[in-house]
Amino acid sequence: MLTFIARRILYSIPVLIATSFLIFAGVSLIGDPLGGLKVNPLASQQTIDHITAEKHLNDPIPVRYGYWVRDAVTHKFGTPLLSNVPIWDDLKRVIPHTLMLVVTAELISLLIGVSIGIYSAIRQYSVFDYAATTFSFLGFAMPVFWLALMAQILFTNLFLAWHVRIFYTSGLSSPDPGTGIHWVLDRAQHLAIPVMVLCVLNLAVYSRFMRASLLEVVNTDYVRTARAKGLTEKRVTMKHAVRNALIPVVTLAALNFGALIGGAIVTEQIFQLDGMGNYFIQNLLNTDIYPIMAWLMVVAVAVIFFNLIADILYGVLDPRVRYD
Amino acid sequence: MHRFGLAAIALVALVAAVFVGGGSASTSASPKKGGQVVFGAEQEPPCLNGFLSGCNNTWTSWTVGTQYRGLYIQKPDFSFVPDLAQSAKIVKAKPMTIAVKIKKQAVWSDGVPVTYQDFKYVWQQEINPKNDVASRSGYDSIKAITPTSKDGKSFNVIFSKPFAPWKALFVNSLYPAHALNGQPDFNNVWLNDTNNPKTGKPISDGPFTMTNYTKGQSMTFTANPKWWGPHKPYLSKVVFVFRTNTDTEIQAIRGGEVDAIYPQPQLQLVDLKGQPGLKIESNAGTTLEHLDFNEQLKGGMPLLRAPWFRQALAYAVNRQAVITQIYKKFNPKQQVLQNLTYGNSQKGLYVPHFQKYVFSPTKVASIMTKHNCTKGSDGIWSCNGTKATIKYGTTTGNKLRELVQEIVQAQAKSAGIQFVTDNDPSRLFFPRVSDGNYQIAMFAWVGTGDPFGQTDIYGIGGGSNWKGYNSVKVTNLFKASDAELNPTKRTALVNAADANMAANVPTLPVVQKPTFLVYKTKIHGIRDNSTVQGPTDNMQDWWVG
Repeated sequence: MLTFIARRILYSIPVLIATSFLIFAGVSLIGDPLGGLKVNPLASQQTIDHITAEKHLNDPIPVRYGYWVRDAVTHKFGTPLLSNVPIWDDLKRVIPHTLMLVVTAELISLLIGVSIGIYSAIRQYSVFDYAATTFSFLGFAMPVFWLALMAQILFTNLFLAWHVRIFYTSGLSSPDPGTGIHWVLDRAQHLAIPVMVLCVLNLAVYSRFMRASLLEVVNTDYVRTARAKGLTEKRVTMKHAVRNALIPVVTLAALNFGALIGGAIVTEQIFQLDGMGNYFIQNLLNTDIYPIMAWLMVVAVAVIFFNLIADILYGVLDPRVRYD
Repeated sequence: MHRFGLAAIALVALVAAVFVGGGSASTSASPKKGGQVVFGAEQEPPCLNGFLSGCNNTWTSWTVGTQYRGLYIQKPDFSFVPDLAQSAKIVKAKPMTIAVKIKKQAVWSDGVPVTYQDFKYVWQQEINPKNDVASRSGYDSIKAITPTSKDGKSFNVIFSKPFAPWKALFVNSLYPAHALNGQPDFNNVWLNDTNNPKTGKPISDGPFTMTNYTKGQSMTFTANPKWWGPHKPYLSKVVFVFRTNTDTEIQAIRGGEVDAIYPQPQLQLVDLKGQPGLKIESNAGTTLEHLDFNEQLKGGMPLLRAPWFRQALAYAVNRQAVITQIYKKFNPKQQVLQNLTYGNSQKGLYVPHFQKYVFSPTKVASIMTKHNCTKGSDGIWSCNGTKATIKYGTTTGNKLRELVQEIVQAQAKSAGIQFVTDNDPSRLFFPRVSDGNYQIAMFAWVGTGDPFGQTDIYGIGGGSNWKGYNSVKVTNLFKASDAELNPTKRTALVNAADANMAANVPTLPVVQKPTFLVYKTKIHGIRDNSTVQGPTDNMQDWWVG
């Protein structure tokens, strides 16, 4: 197992290097990173020259990439193009916010989605199954930005109608959220709608995957054998079928989770959540390559890590899988 | 107050779209004390030292900047009046010397008096080549700052050359020298807080002091008990929460999650008109939208080099229809902009030199025929083998500009001119424009209302004269205006240059973009200041009741 993990980590290093270089070159070629500064007629030329020299903006891209690698390793990704605010400090701030959103949404989605999938498979072609299928397709079809905006309008209108604040439509917390349970409640009120939006999309995915996977498993020989042994249907399903049917769902969840560490970009942007997605968008709009690169590295490491977790979980769920 | 570098913020090409509503500032006889206002800020300051290029944006000025007053302040009518200064006047022409007296009662929140040292500190940082300040303009014309009283409240500012827009320069913030002196690197000062580095306590000479900053979420400003203004701030707190998405801002103010917003005008904001419990105030701002004609060979188009062709273009664009179809929906008082320097709202300065350009396909035809142009079977003019097909670019995603573009394209086509869309997102559009790689570009200049900077935009060799306008007369007039200390003579010089430009049409002015302030009716004393000062320049007068 340890050899397997070590090998996977070693394999990922060239992937990280290649990805980071390609992204660095791509973003560098988008346009002049000081373009915004230069269009100001009163901008100081001394400042522009100083930043250009300090950030090596006149050097070829491979040389600049080298400087970036040095900063990333020795100065925790260094600073953005135009300010001396450490990038790592900002990342340390936004990562927990994204985790709070993503973990909550993933757990709820998995719990409900898997349950719906199992029940749909057991009661195939029932009213419940048809209803779940219909709502799943709706979930697939709805663009997240539309759903998010509709949810904002709905809860704003509910507030205007009832004068009761059920959920907040933007922000991570109130200006004065209090402490202890008050803080928790305030945060829950702020995260509820974005979590709901993410859940609608994830639920559709997980429930369909679980249903399809379980339907495939229940017709296999070992499940028939379990039934022939005289086990109860509940025990056959839960102990033998579901465990194996979970394998593709676990893979999907792990990949999904890794990708979501980058932030649910649209959701965070619309709900003004100070997370990874919002951080990425703001810096992309500013064409500031250094925070974008730092964001990319964190996301890439997360994706690789969760892929590894998925591989390890295969072995836990399916004893036939062995690592060499 | 709160303008670290108005000059730096000013004249930055930005996206714009226009919007206006009715309403007026609230007034009431007896202000109540206490309470708080939650203001939705459309941007978060990247860092808090507004003089630095990386921190310098309008919302840095409208939030953090409220703590640091300037010697002068710009009022909603665009006039400059003393703020920290008791008085400031030119006492000598050569070298230009201004005698300044700071108000006796003006103190920092730690009780230390505001003195010439604070102005001198900013000047020294601004001219230090190691500091990445946004703009050194104006400060680089100062030769010396010398105290003239023992208490440091009176001093002389001596310029190396005449600097006409000195009042606009004096609007910039003062920093507390006693707190910041000794800091090794100004580029690292006040990145994430505005505390006195020596005591770790917040410091301000404004009506409020920033007592909490939760990055990515909010800034809290608490009333400064040492505030030296005519009355103590009425509110206990003002909280700025960051809402950078227009749709989110709209729901936040509708649902009472914020008490006020000051968004860039967008079409969807019109839905807020008539919303119970909200007031909307709009005024003409300092953002001047225009069509820029590139006369250079590189990136340009040969016909655009001819003044007669640019005049024909001016007649082919129905600016009045643009105002009527788009801008008047929000503000019935909106007018076409007819001057490239002054806005419609600058009474006594604004002269409508471009008003002769009224949409007229007949005039276009007359000009074209006179210059041996012929109309093709597709209805588009051709002159000496060159078709009047011109690339027209603006910023992708700016819905109002895109709408204006569509209308203008249709108008021009009816006059035999074809405008071909050539848009890009602003991050690509502006670098392209500043590289001279465009034919016609629609964007805006954000100014202070002062003509300083026009030499750079329209003068020969000007760093922002990307269009390549080449008029010795206009260049000399603007240069002379920058050195003319008599306001009346200065205005005459500027308007002479503008009249000249109206004849040659290097650029066609379109509209003076309005501002858009939305606030709850329970807030009193709040009012828009459509200059670069923004709506937060009188926070001490706000109260809730």
